[in-house]
Amino acid sequence: MNKKTNNGLWWALTILVLALIVFGLWVATKRIDYTWRWNRVPQYFVYLDKDVKSATSNGTVTQLENNGDQTTVTVQGEDGEESTYIIDSKTANLKVDEYLLEDDTVGSIGEWKAGPLSVGLWVTLWISAIASVIGLVIGVITGLCRVSQNLTLRQLSITYIEIIRGTPLLVQLFIFYFFLGTVLDIGRIPSGIGALAVFAGAYVAEIIRAGIQSIPKGQMEASRSLGMNVPQAMTYIILPQAFKRTLPPLAGQFISLIKDSSLVSVIAITDLTKSGREVITSTFAVFEIWFVVAFLYLILTFSLSQVVAWVERRLAVSD
Amino acid sequence: MIKTVGLEKVFVVRDQEVRAVDGISSHIKSGEVVVVIGPSGSGKSTYLRCLNGLETLTGGHVHIDGIDLADRKTDMNKVRREVGMVFQQFNLFPHKTVLENLVLAQMKVRKRKRSEAEKTGRALLKKVGISEKEANYPSQLSGGQQQRVAIARALAMEPKVMLFDEPTSALDPEMVGEVLEVMKQLAREGMTMVVVTHEMGFAREVADRVLFMDYGKLVEEGTPEHFFTDPQEERAKLFLRQVL
Repeated sequence: MNKKTNNGLWWALTILVLALIVFGLWVATKRIDYTWRWNRVPQYFVYLDKDVKSATSNGTVTQLENNGDQTTVTVQGEDGEESTYIIDSKTANLKVDEYLLEDDTVGSIGEWKAGPLSVGLWVTLWISAIASVIGLVIGVITGLCRVSQNLTLRQLSITYIEIIRGTPLLVQLFIFYFFLGTVLDIGRIPSGIGALAVFAGAYVAEIIRAGIQSIPKGQMEASRSLGMNVPQAMTYIILPQAFKRTLPPLAGQFISLIKDSSLVSVIAITDLTKSGREVITSTFAVFEIWFVVAFLYLILTFSLSQVVAWVERRLAVSD
Repeated sequence: MIKTVGLEKVFVVRDQEVRAVDGISSHIKSGEVVVVIGPSGSGKSTYLRCLNGLETLTGGHVHIDGIDLADRKTDMNKVRREVGMVFQQFNLFPHKTVLENLVLAQMKVRKRKRSEAEKTGRALLKKVGISEKEANYPSQLSGGQQQRVAIARALAMEPKVMLFDEPTSALDPEMVGEVLEVMKQLAREGMTMVVVTHEMGFAREVADRVLFMDYGKLVEEGTPEHFFTDPQEERAKLFLRQVL
């Protein structure tokens, strides 16, 4: 039996099933008479911002200097002051010696600006990145406390993990924002990042603990027999091996964190999800925008899983 | 060199007391090769692990060069760097290359410079006959090669005494020889060694003294000639009949 021909058939089947699902969705939207307006979406990524320049005082145009796309207009005011305006050449229809009243339009200039979806994507990206780094630090410290000989450290870490894992992230966000935010006088963004980091930290701690405990006892014994103390053995021997083993579950945790970051929109942080909602209120392109938002999250999470897969391959050299 | 006085180690396994080491007093002199033999579960590995503090003592004392391990003020890390140990399961660091395995503790514990540590490491790899593998990872080596690297790793700390915990038990039969050869060479060079093993041939050939343990107690001790040809205790006679 040739394995390759078999695979080809399965490929075809996969594509067929996916095509059927898409077709089904298309039929379903046909029935509800929804008008798709995909052409409205791109402007919410980048748009040309038209800045209309108006004369600041009454005056006469003394000079028009054309530099290709842009034109510099010099106006001599009645009060003797000269002012210049840089405008798009296409909108320059003034002549030299033309008289302008205050607030008359000189021309306009366009500027490309990031739309709400791009800004939201960026906010989601950096909030998730900072929360991941802090979450990893919290997780490693808590994970180490969890396997410590010291009973108090163990009990404190278990308490933290149980409280965080046992309550909804949404509720934690509200507590961070309304309670801690008020008591400690911190803004919504630090509150949001804090809640996400503390939430991820509890899960990372359990992953790290499992990783440490999966390393054979002999590794610690060999390190100690060479005269290393516990922190040295942890830093150079146990944790590097534990990290390598826990990379797949850690990646899963950080992918979850990116997705969970959508909840910060409830405390009015303009992340990708909140931007999407704002765009919908002005376009009513509900289906399109949510599909686009979902796709943008998918790009973030897929990129992360690709990076982790690459790191895993790099670390696999010693296997 | 190493003196134990009434050494005791009790494990509690499911509310049952197991006296793994039950009052052993022994004296290992500098330059001596002592082989510890006995049936499985006789406590010989536990006895060995007490000698570098890998097991906390339940009772008694271990004096290494006059330093008492039972004293709470003793800095165990300082003692351990003078006592090398080789394990049954090798316990090489799998995420480090062979040379890195030898270099790491030298740099972190002995505070040597990398160049110096690598020089010592390479010389030891040459000594145990695997210098060509220095850039490989442990998983790419055979069991015998891994155990020789483990011996080199312990030697890199320039210990005063070497402990071997059944160093050939996890090896394929054809690899036992290469490891024993390295150990014999060490013995010839005058290293103080305590070896727990089932290799009676090695005990006979290399040991200065044999300790026979059973149920955590030191049953018989003597020179190999005395022990293998004319054991006094009934338990030792029975054991030898079964293994020889």
